[in-house]
Amino acid sequence: MECNGCEFRPELYYDKEYQIWVRREENGALTIGMTDISQTIAGKILHARVRRPGTRRPSGKPVATIESGKWAGPIPNFFDCVIEEGNIAVLEDPNLLNIEPYEAWVARVRAVDGPERALSVLVTGEAAAQGYAERCRRDDIHCSRGAR
Amino acid sequence: MNRCAGRRLDLGVLSPETYVATDRALLECREQGLAPDTLLFLEFARPGALVGFHQSISQEIQVAYCRGHGIPVQRRVTGGGALYVDDGVFGWELYLDRAALGRADLGDVAKLLCTLAAEGLRELGVPACYRPRNDIEVDGRKICGTGGVYDGDALLYHGSLLLDFDVERMLDVLRIPAQKWRDKAIVAARERVTSLRSLLGTRPTAKAVSDALARAFSRGLHTDFAPGVLSQAEQAWRERTRLEIASDDWIYQHDRPETETPVLEGLYRCAGGLLRTALSVDARTGRIRQIWFTGDFFVHPKRLVADLEAALRDVAVADVRLAIERFFGQYPVEMLLLSREDFCRAVEDTLAPIIGGTRVAVPGVGA
Repeated sequence: MECNGCEFRPELYYDKEYQIWVRREENGALTIGMTDISQTIAGKILHARVRRPGTRRPSGKPVATIESGKWAGPIPNFFDCVIEEGNIAVLEDPNLLNIEPYEAWVARVRAVDGPERALSVLVTGEAAAQGYAERCRRDDIHCSRGAR
Repeated sequence: MNRCAGRRLDLGVLSPETYVATDRALLECREQGLAPDTLLFLEFARPGALVGFHQSISQEIQVAYCRGHGIPVQRRVTGGGALYVDDGVFGWELYLDRAALGRADLGDVAKLLCTLAAEGLRELGVPACYRPRNDIEVDGRKICGTGGVYDGDALLYHGSLLLDFDVERMLDVLRIPAQKWRDKAIVAARERVTSLRSLLGTRPTAKAVSDALARAFSRGLHTDFAPGVLSQAEQAWRERTRLEIASDDWIYQHDRPETETPVLEGLYRCAGGLLRTALSVDARTGRIRQIWFTGDFFVHPKRLVADLEAALRDVAVADVRLAIERFFGQYPVEMLLLSREDFCRAVEDTLAPIIGGTRVAVPGVGA
């Protein structure tokens, strides 16, 4: 499913500005990545860094940072969590975030208050699809994926 | 269009540590709505080295030289490359609301702010213009580097404008390709970088520069930047963050060895002359970090060399030929007995010792 060429996956959870996606794993961990909208806005991503495993990151404190075109910025975080691991492949080659934003996850975390509570502050499904499309149209975002 | 109310801060001379702590404090306060849109000016009294947020100190800075000469090294909160600063560097910064700029694309934001800064410099009598992606140049020579950081809706974008340029000291402090060819590196650096003093014959005052920049930003951003001071909240935030900023945990938080960013040099002789290539490669990502071409070849316009170097920055080694061909395909150029193929071969010959697929394999270094 797409809007303005921006890929959307209804099974994932999103923040209200559709900057990140979150997926619940079978073991209760949460996987975090950048949306197609985010990687498009960022441009060619040259650096990615995830906080050390074991680091607690309260809501509002980023789990990772990226850099593109001399802009440094956070991958925002919307719930209290502890970092379990960063995606080594992405840390070694951050351009993967531009190529496959929904496969190239950034970090796996454990929500301090459990995954249900963490996911409750996010949107998913049809409501997310509508919001995602609105964001694309509102900010006139046209996505492109691929090596840069 | 309605004008917005903003604030202008002239902070004078800051140490690298205070500079970074100020950046962090103001960005956080802007993000939390505790600070207005702000245009800030600052200077540096003594030599210092500032790396970009994601950079590794050992890969960017001549650490032993800095230690031996008491030159402080700091890590910025902003992205971009390493900077040598001293009293010839004049800093400008903007703290703005992203949404109010009406541009989602950060590249567009950088272009807008660099273009406005260049307009300000033109008021001083130098024909400055924006050079993609993030530089301001005069006739192909860089006069101001820039970088930014965003957090939520707030962004900080900064520029380091050269009032004067101590090329020898810069080469001592930063790790730059062509460093081994010291005399040629000095000439090459002067061909790539300029300063207001060099262009105007005299060094303008900080006030003349800041006023010109302020007028341009005020016009372009539709904002009145009224003189102001740091609020108590900002000062308190700066003091709270200063200890962290001064710690090795902050400064050396990324420090990969310089062996992961080998510098390669090559000489290529062709009918068009001698083409000397110096480049550094990131062995982890397989991308060119910096590249310099020097030699006795002829190209017109002369700035082609600087533009080609800029176009090849961060290009994957495996794509370098494609990038060179794409560059020449879009660039009107006259060359005497020199061809785009010569540039391709010069770079490929230089990369030959380490090239291998899409990744660079450096002997003895895990990629």
